[in-house]
Amino acid sequence: MTDIAKKESLPAGGRSRSRIGRSVFWLIPILLLPVPLFLDQYRQYVVNLILVYVPVGIGFNIVVGNLGLLAFSNVAFFGIGAYTSGVLALKLGLPWWATVLPAGIMGALAGSAASVPALRGVRLFYLAIMTLAFGELLRWVYIRWVPVTGGSFGMAVPKPSVFGLPLLTEGHKFYAFLFLVVLMVILTNRLLRSRFGRAFMAIKSNEQAAAAMGIPTDRYILLAFAWGGFVVGIGGSMYAALVGHVTPIAFDLTELILEFAIIMVGGLGSLVGSVLGAIVITSAPEFFRNWLGFQELLFGVLIVVVILFLPRGLASLLARLHPIFVDRYYRD
Amino acid sequence: MRPRASPVLRPAGFDPHGAGPVLALFPQLVVSGIATGMLYALIALSMTVGYRATTVVNFGHGDMVMAGAYAVFVLLGSGMPFLPAMVLALALLFAFGVLTQRVFMQPIIAGPHLSLAIMALSIGYAVRGGARLEWGSEVTTLTRPYPQDAFMVGSVVFTTDDLVISGVVLGLLLALFVVFHLTPIGRLIQAIFQSQRGAALVGINVHAFHGMMWGAGAALGAAGGVLLALIVPLSPDMGVWTLLRGFAAMTLGGFGSLHGAVIGGLLLGIMEKLLGFYVSTVFIDITAYLVTILVLLIRPSGLFGRQASIRV
Amino acid sequence: MAALLELTDVSVRFGGLTAVDNVSLSVAAGEVCALIGPNGAGKTTLFNAVSGNAVINSGAIRFQGEEIHRLTPHQISAKGVRRTFQNGGLFAHLTALENVLVGLHTRVDSSFLGLLASAPASRRAESAATARARELLDLMQVGHVADNLASDLSGGQQRMVEIVRALATEPPLLLLDEPAVGLAPHMREQLGQIIRRLAGERGIGILLIEHAIELVMNVSDRVVVLNYGKKVADAPPAQVRADKAVLEAYLGHA
Repeated sequence: MTDIAKKESLPAGGRSRSRIGRSVFWLIPILLLPVPLFLDQYRQYVVNLILVYVPVGIGFNIVVGNLGLLAFSNVAFFGIGAYTSGVLALKLGLPWWATVLPAGIMGALAGSAASVPALRGVRLFYLAIMTLAFGELLRWVYIRWVPVTGGSFGMAVPKPSVFGLPLLTEGHKFYAFLFLVVLMVILTNRLLRSRFGRAFMAIKSNEQAAAAMGIPTDRYILLAFAWGGFVVGIGGSMYAALVGHVTPIAFDLTELILEFAIIMVGGLGSLVGSVLGAIVITSAPEFFRNWLGFQELLFGVLIVVVILFLPRGLASLLARLHPIFVDRYYRD
Repeated sequence: MRPRASPVLRPAGFDPHGAGPVLALFPQLVVSGIATGMLYALIALSMTVGYRATTVVNFGHGDMVMAGAYAVFVLLGSGMPFLPAMVLALALLFAFGVLTQRVFMQPIIAGPHLSLAIMALSIGYAVRGGARLEWGSEVTTLTRPYPQDAFMVGSVVFTTDDLVISGVVLGLLLALFVVFHLTPIGRLIQAIFQSQRGAALVGINVHAFHGMMWGAGAALGAAGGVLLALIVPLSPDMGVWTLLRGFAAMTLGGFGSLHGAVIGGLLLGIMEKLLGFYVSTVFIDITAYLVTILVLLIRPSGLFGRQASIRV
Repeated sequence: MAALLELTDVSVRFGGLTAVDNVSLSVAAGEVCALIGPNGAGKTTLFNAVSGNAVINSGAIRFQGEEIHRLTPHQISAKGVRRTFQNGGLFAHLTALENVLVGLHTRVDSSFLGLLASAPASRRAESAATARARELLDLMQVGHVADNLASDLSGGQQRMVEIVRALATEPPLLLLDEPAVGLAPHMREQLGQIIRRLAGERGIGILLIEHAIELVMNVSDRVVVLNYGKKVADAPPAQVRADKAVLEAYLGHA
């Protein structure tokens, strides 16, 4: 059997990280705590926007990067989360914190709905086309369902509050957002490192073989979409709180390329990548906001360059720095 | 902001919701639907050509359509007459299609479908962003190279727009049919569509072929863009609008089927008009989305596609 | 001996083509049954029918006395029919260890909510499964590559890991689809020994598709020959070797 065992294994470290190593990650949110002390309202707003896009990227990456399905419906989940939060606050007078979970649940329901074609065996381009149509149909609903959504002009969302405490400044929002982001990262990390995450990756690698291992692939596809939708929906509720105004135009196709840029530049299938992508991508366009079309051009070119020259995204660069950053990133 | 199909639905001076028994409008709706459908058919066909050659769906194809329209706009602005401008625009888009396929798609052609789809999508976005930077804030239109007019045949109104669009598309379809079925190169293309491996075995440069067909698709799409620009204002988003309708037409006809794309486009055009008039005007906007979703759920192979079932 | 797997008059048709034509065969516990025949004879289709990846048009497939031909692949797998794939069915994006863990999927008793809450029971289930997977890899002497991505393994290692993955849940029946492809001759011998041991020591029933005829003759208790979807022979290896119909159908081509 020595022949079979010929190839040398990687130096340890890589995948079997120690507990001490992992706890380093806890330092990141703690180190971030004093951030609002150093930033003006505008810069804090940009940081908050980054936080909004961390869950958006994470949820998208689960479906595209981990499950490996080409679904373009992420913007729809984001929009549903934002509208759910906005409508509950505006029409029912719920405080923002109470709308976060419903926004996630609505996102999960939308995710489940978007997974129906995949469950029926629709794959590859067909799924992409269908989910694209689903997203556009939804945006049309935002525009036309005026009594609820406010139509093209959107709706003004009441000032957010948490347990009776109003989030008056961007700094206040920062702490609420940071809490949610850390929570989503931890929960998703637990999921991806378990048999659930392995099942997603197995389906991506070889769906037939995954089923042959006793994995009910349908159920796991549904689950990946639902969890992805849940996390993205929570991002949507954060968006509503941050911007204070939910309009259909925020969920158009320009948004799609931004979200693709986050997961592609960050690293497909990598949780670390989703976070990195949100940081890099979200902070860029804020500075070019008034330059119409620049976002699309920039992100389009950026993704082309990444696919050609850095197919595993920034996560793969980070992984080269130190084994502690090695994450399950995309390879093919 | 987004182009509407309404100029074709409602010819100048004609109000379909006006007087007259509702059923009497049926022929009018079908005629208007066919004119729009011709446009969809051309777009769907142009997408199918590239897809059949490379088995990759060009998610940036709509932006080629848009680029074609703007190319004509720019050339007209430089004083060129319409027809030469259109021919030159198609040639430019052909070259652009070949170039993007060879430079960006070919290097990753063996990679996962996911990368290919996102690559094509991103190229499209870059083109769209460029167009928006240049023309995003101005309303621009193409001047028709023919008089805008309408005339009655029986109780049906025909506009010159309808006739020009239908005429040009029919002409292109006929030309394509002749090329495909009656020329050696057309038979060659068909053979390659059937079996790429076989084509490679007999010494055909399949890579070059991919590029050429991607370019041909872009040029055909650009023709569709120019025709569309005759009836709606130019906009960087006009491409995406056509992309989604092209997908609906392809899906309805059967993904990858050439004649399916044409028939799917025509049916979609007619359905939009009939549903829009008899059921609710909202259908003018959403028929394409509903058709895409329902067909893929109920009969993924469409009308003329090959049944492919994988059990997992 | 009661049959572990029993196919009765099974036919599979694709459009006008009859890929498997009225085939009956059985595999007993602890028996190695080889399925041979020229390319296109319907061997893999027959496998797919057993594992639920192909729909049968007539006949019946029973596993431990129970009809399984209407079940989905994951249900059949959960009943204890495991298979390997012709062109390497490893999950390229996962490590060798994770591949085996996916093989153990149905045995990992961790729940969705339990994992989200990081409940001790679920954590224990996950780490127990990981330990078990490492043990299995060590047992087949591929433990040192446990943390390598499957796509980085050599052909032989991939084959081993795939077999470990299929065996992880100790299934009563194992379907091996051309396990010796791409293996050097001496590694084929090792593979043969492993197959014999699995059948002999653990009583696993093995249905084997293989073109390497020496391997087939060495390890099988029985050889079934398919040609154009029909069964043309079903006998011990020595007898099959002498069979005229087989020589014509298969060995003549070799």
